[in-house]
Amino acid sequence: MSESPDFRRAMRDAFPERPAPEQLRAWAQNVARTGGDTRHSEPERVRTISRSAGARRVLQAAALVLALGAGWGGHALAIGLARGTSADDAMVGELVDSHVRSLLADHLMDVKSTDQHTVKPWFIGKADFAPQVTDLASDGFPLLGGRIEYVAGHSAAALVFGRRKHVINVYEWPASSADQRVVREQRSGYSLLHWTANGLSFWAVTDATPADLDAFRSAYTPGH
Amino acid sequence: MPHLDAAYTLAFYLVRDAADAEDVVQEAVLRAVRYLSTLRSDASARTWLLAIVRRECYSAYRARRARAEHTLERGDDEERQIVDPGERPDDAAGRSVLRSHLIAAVDALPERLRETLILREIQDCSYEEIATITEAPLGTVMSRLSRARAKLADELGGVLDIEELS
Repeated sequence: MSESPDFRRAMRDAFPERPAPEQLRAWAQNVARTGGDTRHSEPERVRTISRSAGARRVLQAAALVLALGAGWGGHALAIGLARGTSADDAMVGELVDSHVRSLLADHLMDVKSTDQHTVKPWFIGKADFAPQVTDLASDGFPLLGGRIEYVAGHSAAALVFGRRKHVINVYEWPASSADQRVVREQRSGYSLLHWTANGLSFWAVTDATPADLDAFRSAYTPGH
Repeated sequence: MPHLDAAYTLAFYLVRDAADAEDVVQEAVLRAVRYLSTLRSDASARTWLLAIVRRECYSAYRARRARAEHTLERGDDEERQIVDPGERPDDAAGRSVLRSHLIAAVDALPERLRETLILREIQDCSYEEIATITEAPLGTVMSRLSRARAKLADELGGVLDIEELS
């Protein structure tokens, strides 16, 4: 069979070009822009994004840029932080943006499963810590899946739970020993709850009610 | 970042999963960015980036694909229509039948034939570029292409007039 325009047309119809997702494009542009910075510190062989400090740094930078929703305005936020904006305040903003983005960008989950024994192993090699993954379907918070996020300088495991028709994003990363606080926040119509338990720092974000978050917390980490 | 769409498209059709394709492209970009400035010709940059993407697809996802995880997004939201193989599609419905048969037939191709065909027909690569990207001799590329088309003609012969393929 030789080359045929009809065949090529049929192939292109069946396998159309897939434009890179916007998030990936922004990330890649940032990498291309800061390529000089990563060149010297990045390990020769990058096995996964989460294991590479260089990769994590550029992802964080990209996350900052995306969180601002303002193209290359990332510098502005970096300057703002250096001037002493409350770290919590910036983090709450980032978490809300991450939550909203996960709902908008069709990027809620990289691993879709209601089985905690499927979701938890998925993080091996992607996160450099073991997140807590507990299905709370019997408490009215069914596990839906998970993904890796980069929030406030942390590689975070994001677990996704349902609450009636709402979604709860739970961000987990290793807690610093000093952090024993419980923080309740409201931002742009979203509720946030922060607590620590079992060496992990939790930030839950949702458009469900603050009471839902408290119920989630006592079910997820009883006694904390 | 030039050629990102081409990189993502190739990754998407090789690993057949949007999230995996994103991971692959990120790895490839991190590798590529260190050498990007040293490249002169636009065409060779594209070939070279696609070669990196392909290698990433295989190194990162061979094991995973071997477990026969086959999450093909486009397959999920499209109905696969079964037709009488003798029927000749010549209208819009027929084209959609051809399309779903073609997708299934390409997916069923052995990996080397499939990637060669995708690079040729979707990415519009020359034989020489495909040889570079897939690290295969030119003769092998041409034989893989003709085997891929022959297999498709076999598979689809009953669905569409063979003249449409040849």
